Amino acid sequence: MSSLTSSAPKLKRDETASLLIRLRRLTRSYAFRIIAQGLITIWAVTTFTFFLIRLMPGNPVDTYIDALMQQRNLTLEEAQRAAAGIFEFDPDEPLVQQYVNFLSKLVRLDLGKSITKGGTPVLDIILRYLPWTLFCVGVALIISFALGVLIGLAMGYWRGGLLDNVMTGFASIISGIPDYILALLILIIFGVQLQWFRVGEVRGGVDPTIEVGFTLEYIGSVLRYAFLPVLIYVLASIGTWILAMKSSTISTLGEDYITVAQARGLSERRVLTSYVGRNAMLPLVTRLAISVGFVVSGSVIIEEMFQYPGLGRNLFVAIAQRDYTTMQGMFLVITSAVVFANILADLALGWLDPRVRLDKKVD
Amino acid sequence: MSEVILSVRNLSVSYLARRGRVRAVSNVSFELHAGETLAFIGESGCGKSTLNLALIRTLPKTGQIDSGTMIYTRRDGQQIDVLKLNKQEHRRWLWSECSMVFQGALNSLNPVIRISDMIYDTAAAHGIPREDARKQALDLLEKVRLDPQRVFNSYPHELSGGMRQRVLLAISLLLRPQIVIMDEPTTAVDILTQRSILDVLKELRRELNFSVLFISHDLAVAAEIADRIATMYAGEIVEIGPVEEIFYRPRHAYTLALLDAAPRLSAGAEELHSIPGSPPDLIMPPPGCKFHERCAFAVASCHTTPPPLRPTHDAACHLVACTESERVLAAQRKIMRQ
Ligand SMILES: Nc1ncnc2c1ncn2[C@@H]1O[C@H](COP(=O)(O)OP(=O)(O)OP(=O)(O)O)[C@@H](O)[C@H]1O
Ligand SMILES: [Mg+2]
Repeated sequence: MSSLTSSAPKLKRDETASLLIRLRRLTRSYAFRIIAQGLITIWAVTTFTFFLIRLMPGNPVDTYIDALMQQRNLTLEEAQRAAAGIFEFDPDEPLVQQYVNFLSKLVRLDLGKSITKGGTPVLDIILRYLPWTLFCVGVALIISFALGVLIGLAMGYWRGGLLDNVMTGFASIISGIPDYILALLILIIFGVQLQWFRVGEVRGGVDPTIEVGFTLEYIGSVLRYAFLPVLIYVLASIGTWILAMKSSTISTLGEDYITVAQARGLSERRVLTSYVGRNAMLPLVTRLAISVGFVVSGSVIIEEMFQYPGLGRNLFVAIAQRDYTTMQGMFLVITSAVVFANILADLALGWLDPRVRLDKKVD
Repeated sequence: MSEVILSVRNLSVSYLARRGRVRAVSNVSFELHAGETLAFIGESGCGKSTLNLALIRTLPKTGQIDSGTMIYTRRDGQQIDVLKLNKQEHRRWLWSECSMVFQGALNSLNPVIRISDMIYDTAAAHGIPREDARKQALDLLEKVRLDPQRVFNSYPHELSGGMRQRVLLAISLLLRPQIVIMDEPTTAVDILTQRSILDVLKELRRELNFSVLFISHDLAVAAEIADRIATMYAGEIVEIGPVEEIFYRPRHAYTLALLDAAPRLSAGAEELHSIPGSPPDLIMPPPGCKFHERCAFAVASCHTTPPPLRPTHDAACHLVACTESERVLAAQRKIMRQ
């Protein structure tokens, strides 16, 4: 009897001890650390933006009233009366109260409703516009990175050659021009001057007369409408990739293992890919991660110019209207994407470079 | 003596530097026999690495071979001029006939791929099936006293410096070349590892019977491993001969000075003499014998006429470029007697 009573708490102590050990192991594991770090980053940035956007002059109601007064020539009272019915938002609610509401909804993955768009759930807005931006900027990033790396590699390897001389100039110039200037130049030169396309017809994401569906016609139209924005994104970013890859290639070429590989009689192609290319790419992976993160936001100006139905343009509108909830939601998506892309970059770097690989022994 | 497999004649190599043309190797001639080990000794910067990189035509982009011939005799007796091979022929000649263990083992392996992949790459470049390459490599890794399976599947960063050095030795023998060039293979490792690498090298040499061009700062190591020694100074071979001749009967003032400066080989260990002055500028080398500015034996003619590399009176295989060789020898005798 006495032995029974004494063993019970002991058992319990063992259990708690083993639970503690397991817990400690979990918190020390790399995956846990990386995820926790990511979540904390997202929370911090979200909190920061939450207060920041509320520090902007004006609030949704006032902004709307201003717009009404200007557009429809209403008096202040008329406008205030018109606005009162539309908003579920009380600008006088204490900030902390708003923040607590926001967080408690967020943990349930509820991003709330748009203040200005008649109560459309923010999530719906994001899901509607995000794919367009993802597609357009994503394709552009892939093209620009792949091309930039290949060109930069060739330039560095055959340094001083024709390609190097031509492309160094091109890349330096183009990487200094902002994307909207590029867009204007292309619209003016190829659209207005050469008339290769009609400027009015390249606005939007797809030809609205074509029925939505998985048809060749629809996809063709999507691609056609994406062509110019993609081209501009590629042109705007490729110069940096080219120059970064070139300088990385040149420094890699100075490494002993390249000379040794050549001395072993390896073919030029092999040396160029497995020895020079792979090592030279390592420093670019981190940069790529940052770019991948911003794929979701797109470029506000480019989307605005082409009336492309992407997230960037809607973010712009949301900011203009002080649509707090929509802004919050979109910033949250962008932050999460950047954090997620950085985790991906860590994994990719581990895959490319065994020295930073996490699972030590791979036999 | 066994047949000559490499005959180098009047080889000159220069680098294009900002200040002008660096004559890193000038008019070097020597022969390498089958199965022998020829060691190059000399101060840092005297052109040892440059000479050997030129032999496999793998100089940096700024370097170029100005003149000379390099006749290589293949196993089937066919003679080829290495400098006349076209790109493709040269690529195949590399490693399968002449391989190299480079100075600086830590950086000689591609950090992002496995040792096995480097071996497969080498084999593929020379048309050898993967499976044969694997067997050969495992066998060689065992011979250099490594755990073959583990090392074969490792990445370079998982190996210690000494292990990497041995891996490089094994890879250099992968295609059974007739000549292996070794540029300071033991400088970066500790004394025990150095010992074991030298033992491994000797064993392999006995078993596989290849010739070695060995570069070393360390005279003791050179004395132990080499059959013949070549002393280099300012891009030239100033003395070459069998190892006992060079160490016990040196005829060149510079060789004597080197021996005198080496701790273990000099007669009185407490009396180490450093060589006064520093090596000459290779862009504007001095006239006459390049060593005359630092030489204790120099006479008037040394300042103007470069002495040719000539056989000594009593040993035809011992060549020296010094007019005062008898005085040098006498001085050596005196040091030894002390
Ligand atoms: N890439 C280069 N460009 C210009 N000069 C060079 C270059 N590489 C070597 N040199 C010069 O050529 C000479 C010979 O250099 P080398 O590397 O062959 O010397 P070394 O005898 O191997 O020296 P160490 O024992 O220190 O390795 C030196 O004077 C060096 O300054
Ligand atoms: Mg060297």
